[in-house]
Amino acid sequence: MPKEYRIALRNCGLINPESIDEFIAADGYQALRKALKSEPLGIYEEIYDSGLRGRGGAGFPTGAKEKAAAVICSDCEKYVICNADEGEPGTFKDRIIMETDPHTLIEGITIAAYSIVAHRGFIYIRGEYELSIQRIQNAIEQAYGRGFLGENILGSGFNFHLEIRRGAGSYLCGEELTLIESVEGKRGYPRIKPPYPAEKGLWGAPTLINNVETLANFPAIILNGAKWYRSIGTEKSPGTKIFTISGDVNKPGFYEFPMGVTLRELIYEVAGGIRNGKPFGAALIGGAAGTFASEQHLDVQMGYDKLRDAGLTLGSGAVIVMDSTRDLNQTMLSILKFFKHESCGKCIPCRIGTTQLYEALKENLTQLYFKADTVYPELIRQAEMIARTSLCPLGQSPILPLKSLWEHILVKQIANK
Amino acid sequence: MAKVKIHIDGKEVLANEGANLLHEARLNGFNIPGLCYHHKLTPTGACRLCLVKVEGQRGMVASCTLTVKEGMNIVAFDQELEDTRRFLLDYLVSEQNTHYDGTYADELRDLMFRYNLDMQENRFFKPVKPQVEFRIDNSSPVLTYDPSKCIKCFRCIKACDEVQGKNVLSFYERGLNSFIVAGTGVWGDSECDGCGECIQLCPTGAIVEKPNRKFIKLDRVEQRVRTTCPYCGVGCQIELLVQDGKIVRSNGVEGVSPNDGRLCVKGRFGYEFVHSPDRLTVPLIRKNGELVESTWDEALTLIATKFSELKEKYGPDSLAGYASAKCTNEDNYIFQKFIRTVFGTNNIDYCTRLCHASTVTAMLKSIGDGAGSNSIEDFETTDCLVVTGNNIIETHPITATYVKRGAAKGMKIIVIDPKWTPLVAYATLWLQPRLGTDVALLNGMVREIIANNWVDHKFIESRVEGGMQAFLELKELVEKYTPEVTEKITGVPAQKIKDAAQIYATAKTAMVATGMGMSQQVTGTHNVFSLLNMILITGKIGKERCGIDPPRGQNNVQGATDVGCHPAMYPGYIPVTNAENRRKVAEVWGVPFERLSDRPGLTTVEIMQAAYHGKIKGLYIMGENPMISDPNLNHTEEALKKLDFLVVQDIFHTETTRFAHVVLPASTWAEKNGTFVNSDRRVLRVRKAVDCPGQAREDWRIVHELAARMGKPMPYYRDEAEIFDELARVTPIMAGISHARLEHQGVQWPCPTPNHPGTPTLYLDKFNTPSGKAKLFPVEHVDQTERATTEYPFILNSGRILYHYHTGTMSRRNKALTNFTNHPYVIIHPNDASKLGVKSGERVRITSPRGTLETQVHIAEEVLEGELFMPWHYTEAQVNRLTRDELDPYSRIAPFKISAVRVESIS
Repeated sequence: MPKEYRIALRNCGLINPESIDEFIAADGYQALRKALKSEPLGIYEEIYDSGLRGRGGAGFPTGAKEKAAAVICSDCEKYVICNADEGEPGTFKDRIIMETDPHTLIEGITIAAYSIVAHRGFIYIRGEYELSIQRIQNAIEQAYGRGFLGENILGSGFNFHLEIRRGAGSYLCGEELTLIESVEGKRGYPRIKPPYPAEKGLWGAPTLINNVETLANFPAIILNGAKWYRSIGTEKSPGTKIFTISGDVNKPGFYEFPMGVTLRELIYEVAGGIRNGKPFGAALIGGAAGTFASEQHLDVQMGYDKLRDAGLTLGSGAVIVMDSTRDLNQTMLSILKFFKHESCGKCIPCRIGTTQLYEALKENLTQLYFKADTVYPELIRQAEMIARTSLCPLGQSPILPLKSLWEHILVKQIANK
Repeated sequence: MAKVKIHIDGKEVLANEGANLLHEARLNGFNIPGLCYHHKLTPTGACRLCLVKVEGQRGMVASCTLTVKEGMNIVAFDQELEDTRRFLLDYLVSEQNTHYDGTYADELRDLMFRYNLDMQENRFFKPVKPQVEFRIDNSSPVLTYDPSKCIKCFRCIKACDEVQGKNVLSFYERGLNSFIVAGTGVWGDSECDGCGECIQLCPTGAIVEKPNRKFIKLDRVEQRVRTTCPYCGVGCQIELLVQDGKIVRSNGVEGVSPNDGRLCVKGRFGYEFVHSPDRLTVPLIRKNGELVESTWDEALTLIATKFSELKEKYGPDSLAGYASAKCTNEDNYIFQKFIRTVFGTNNIDYCTRLCHASTVTAMLKSIGDGAGSNSIEDFETTDCLVVTGNNIIETHPITATYVKRGAAKGMKIIVIDPKWTPLVAYATLWLQPRLGTDVALLNGMVREIIANNWVDHKFIESRVEGGMQAFLELKELVEKYTPEVTEKITGVPAQKIKDAAQIYATAKTAMVATGMGMSQQVTGTHNVFSLLNMILITGKIGKERCGIDPPRGQNNVQGATDVGCHPAMYPGYIPVTNAENRRKVAEVWGVPFERLSDRPGLTTVEIMQAAYHGKIKGLYIMGENPMISDPNLNHTEEALKKLDFLVVQDIFHTETTRFAHVVLPASTWAEKNGTFVNSDRRVLRVRKAVDCPGQAREDWRIVHELAARMGKPMPYYRDEAEIFDELARVTPIMAGISHARLEHQGVQWPCPTPNHPGTPTLYLDKFNTPSGKAKLFPVEHVDQTERATTEYPFILNSGRILYHYHTGTMSRRNKALTNFTNHPYVIIHPNDASKLGVKSGERVRITSPRGTLETQVHIAEEVLEGELFMPWHYTEAQVNRLTRDELDPYSRIAPFKISAVRVESIS
């Protein structure tokens, strides 16, 4: 049975999330103290060397993002934003961090701000996460009270002000450029890129945006060093990942494991296997904008590149398990309904395409004889066009579950008939 | 912009570096499709139709989101791109209501034809419907929004925000359910002011003009006539669509100065009056106290006889003429020539004397020209703009769009106004002085500038008459206007005075827009002198993006004086008193030198006063309505009644035609050719779009024939172009201009030769004074002669609003405008209202020493306590019954802004 290795979740369940003293007693804010004693350059180099990759879903090297925002200019206005919008279906890791250990996030974002010399930060929390908002707000006030936020933090001369901004029910506002529009008080429509946030982000200034889980790893990396972080996980995906496992398993929940753990281990050992002893059907990895893994993929190691090589995506690390009795077409339909609902409507391919895809599958599913091999190739053709022509990553998503469901699972089902 | 080499589809193209790629490609003949891009707006990248392939970049990129870089290699058209575009259009059409009623230009429909999607059977995708109810929004007075035709391209939202600075429109819902809302709901409930920028930029039939919607069919429009707007002095270029001999639509003309396609609600919807059934169509003669229909022959014969009799009996100076700020330069030129060569007097003037007289008088004395020194584009690019006594957003809406765009880029704005105006929302500072304290305020600012040495000594020494000596005289005079003293007089907090002085004086470049608030006072000329003093000592004139710009109120108030409708000046601002001038002018006009009077004539209000005293016996009014626009209307009424003979030439019956002995039916701006001159000295073409109704005639033709009937015929003019040619020979500032030269765009005078490009900014080398230098005129603040008393405890201010225009003859005959607002009111401060015991909507009687009127109360904090404001457009509540005709000694203007009144509730 593989063992959990908690880095981002280091304090989860072990301390009272509303007590800053318990956090401090657990080595809280030691990393910040250490960071403030060195140069910002040293911080982002350490993060870069650690190989940490964005835990929101894109898996982009975090240190590279930080470095870009750090070097673009000095003595200029900059911002740091924590993306706590957590919209990907099946994902609930950031919520756990915020609810059980809010100060780790605050410590992480303050370190990030220091590394690029930003004096203002925002945590953009999805509006539905009432408890997270409450706990983070509480923690921010406590941190100000003890001098971990505000002017001249811990006597270092570094000023950093942090506040919460709330989302209001839009999946797309979890996409970084759309999120920036929302923080600016506008409706959630994605911007044209380039320019990228490191160059022109919030109010036109260089902006660093990171996911909650990503930032929650900062204190440990600073305290223990990049080499230590690299010694965990795999070569291309160092460190740990919080996997949120749900669906037809006996022990759904959040589990933090080193990268490299296999899908089989996660489902059968960590999550206690399929409920009611049913056979495995499929696993949707990475949420709605994710991919379906079949039985053949159970021994794949979880990590950005290993999954990509197997035609899968890690995404947010959500794993939704379906047993063999589930009608995967219905699953697909509800995924398409989700995209239709969340499309902002700005660009033609996504606004109309997400509805066309949904309507096409829905209508076909009501037919007496549903022929997947005539329906899916056409849906995939459209989804490909939508992906190639869309303005933002939402339009680029439906192709992922569609293609993987077809190629990994349905094609074989038809062949076996 | 530098030109660089790029390749598109294998062809070498020279394109502007840094310019928008889609725009440049189209300019070079590559007709890449697109629906959301418009060159006036920032790129959106929403429709995805403009996708191209870029060497070195993966996949397809929206060309509207790219800028031209040297060496770019683009594929604009290949099978994959065309298939992709067709796929996207097919998608779009599946969402759309494709019904087309022929009343609007439809870019989507054009693309449907181009990509073979017009026929249902060629489309692959089934129609998809929104999950919310799409309702047509018909609540706006001027437009209809149909969400089923909306392609969600963002053009209207950006047009309202980026071009017009109003930011009224937004999306509601999301995805396929998205539709446009104005404000927080339907158009009719929002702050939309009807400018129609969204209509013009909408690529489909989602937003369409309401007027004439049932009648207009674009393929039956027989003419599209480019002309200049007849309302305010911005001079917007408009395109009139004519169908069945009627004007059915007005569009802004893109890409030309001064408006670049932008319009306000009056320019876009104010043409309905042209076809009003109220139009005068037949000459009328008063017989037995009633005006009865007559003939041109009878009417003109009568006029010629009467005027000749009066001239014979009482002398030429017993006659006078009012020219028209609404008529063309050609009309006005002929008119002033008539007054001078046929009447033989210099008693010619017009409503400009009621308007910018003080501004022009002070500017002529101080810097040598009475016209704005800069161009409209400078309102966006100067570093600091002071707007004093000018409600620019409502009275000069298009100039205001430049101001708002400048503000968005960081331009500092200082508003000086006793009453709140919409510009205050964009202002860095708002100074709210009590009515009539402008000299004190400006002297206070000048003192602050001198005390902090924010003075441009080099400028003073080299470009101001008297140099340091004159400066020291000014310094001495303003010494007593300390911030505290100035605060006491004006009510403006001392700190604000200091801040305003600093912002203006230390700005790199700065302009001043000055309006009626400064000019229409008994101390109007002094007001503007004190303003000019501030401008001169800081050197904020005679440089690019620096100067003083009085936005002109009327479409041709500038031109009418330019072409000689002035009691003391010939065309081109040449004094009549100078014998040499008279000789030159007489020669061009082909009249004996002796026929031209050497005595300066009377000004507008003086003419009326002289009529009252029996000195003026006969008056010829062309296109003016003194019975609403002149001060002290009771007195004016008496004056008109005393006239032996009054001829009024107009397009409608007015309050003035009630007293006329003969009424002549004349032409609107849409019924003749000619030119106007706008606020930035641009001579602009006016073109005939429709015929005069009935027997109505072009104004200049009427005057021309009258001259012949009075025995002093003018030369034959084949057309208005020939009139302009003669005008150019006698007017040095326009000598290089002709109708032919104005074919595509206006030319800013001075333009002395045909090769001269025109003059965007004045005074770059020297001022137009005899010495070439500007003059300082230190002036003291004096208390107003008419002040609040126990009997008349309020001071009444008057002015304009956006939707209506001056005496309302034109604007109140447009349903589109009257549906926005159409009733008079008086603005009272809440504290005053509660003391009076009145509520909004209740009726009150307002009385001054001159007269009385009744109107409706509107309570707002826009005015100071003790001050009131009324718009003056409404004949039901004639504001000028209350004003007085005490005149500024230099400019002879009446103080429309200041009247002592009392208010009584009559509910």
